[in-house]
Amino acid sequence: MKLGFLSIDPGTILFTLANTLILFLGLRHFLFKPVNQILEKRQTAVDQALKDAEDARSRAETAEAEYREKLDRAKEESAEMMRDASRKAQKRSDEIIEKARAEAAGIMQQNAEELEREKRRAEHELRGEVSGLAVLVAEKVVGREINPADHARLIDEFIDSVGDAE
Amino acid sequence: MAIPKVLRGPEKLEVSGPKVIKTFHLFGMKINFTETVILEWIVMAVILLTAFLLTRNLKVRGTSKRQAIAEMAVEAITGLVRDTMGRRWLWFTPYIATVFCFSIFGSLISLFGVRSVTSDFSVLLTWAAITFVLITATKIRCGGVKGYLKGFGDPIPVMLPINVLSEISTPTAMALRHFGNIAGGSIIMGLIYYGLANLSHMIRLQVPLLTVGIPAALSLYFDLFSDFMQAFIFIMLTMVFISNAGPSEDAA
Repeated sequence: MKLGFLSIDPGTILFTLANTLILFLGLRHFLFKPVNQILEKRQTAVDQALKDAEDARSRAETAEAEYREKLDRAKEESAEMMRDASRKAQKRSDEIIEKARAEAAGIMQQNAEELEREKRRAEHELRGEVSGLAVLVAEKVVGREINPADHARLIDEFIDSVGDAE
Repeated sequence: MAIPKVLRGPEKLEVSGPKVIKTFHLFGMKINFTETVILEWIVMAVILLTAFLLTRNLKVRGTSKRQAIAEMAVEAITGLVRDTMGRRWLWFTPYIATVFCFSIFGSLISLFGVRSVTSDFSVLLTWAAITFVLITATKIRCGGVKGYLKGFGDPIPVMLPINVLSEISTPTAMALRHFGNIAGGSIIMGLIYYGLANLSHMIRLQVPLLTVGIPAALSLYFDLFSDFMQAFIFIMLTMVFISNAGPSEDAA
């Protein structure tokens, strides 16, 4: 026996109602409950991982800032040391140069004095010789002896005028 | 040479309802046990077994392909319910999944040469009735019994018959649309098979070779596409009607 094409059958309706309910409960229990549980667990795990990562990042940032500060301080210290050393070196070199210059100046001074003394002595000697020579020349010219003592003043004036002309 | 009967193709075209396997009387009522119910059991067994197998030893990390499929299915249907009905209806997801799977597998079972579950009007009427009950329950819960009854006289009392009609036509239309598409599709496919078999006999083919291949292309639309569309339309309408029965999520 077959039902009509568009028949409404109470038996089928009752069975379908029961079947739909069973399938609903079955799907909820066998599919949705376990899958949603696992999705929730995963969400929790992901949240936890994100939080951990965030924490780790903030810790890393703190550490980095700390290291950076330390590094800066060390750099500053080393720069300070360098400056100090170069300042000392500069000072030392200045001192050495100054000393050398002073020594050189001292030597120059000594030399100059020596030279002066030598010059004076030479001048003196020269003056003696020239006055002797002048007396000799004058004797030859005048034809008689000239007493150097009498003409000393004259001779000296002459030599001075010659020296000035030099 | 005698051709076996199974290879001779359909000999007559018959449009009828499901076969009644057994009838028993309960409290003076005649209860029919039809082939639809047996097919429903098969469909349920397939769905539940699939769900059971897909959710074996689920893991939080290092998921298997089976688990990925199960998760995708659950997330897809959950997302659909959330987008269509709003977050407060999320508990309703398993019912939508139930109707969707039941409808789709119940329609596709016709590919194995049996009647589809959804070409039995009683089945669709049952689901539509569930939707109707849920719509009414939501209206009563949100507006009270008085508010619900008052709604029928809205905007003017004269509208009462029209409002009652519109209330009843909602589930009726849903059931008829689904039933009509699937049953109509199977009738068309039956006609095509019958026609092609007769055509084969007319050109003196003893085995109706014309029924090989040609109906498959049409079956893509009338069985696969239509089955999927109707299942989808049915759950969409169910969700929209039920969530529209209450105030919108912003107001709630």
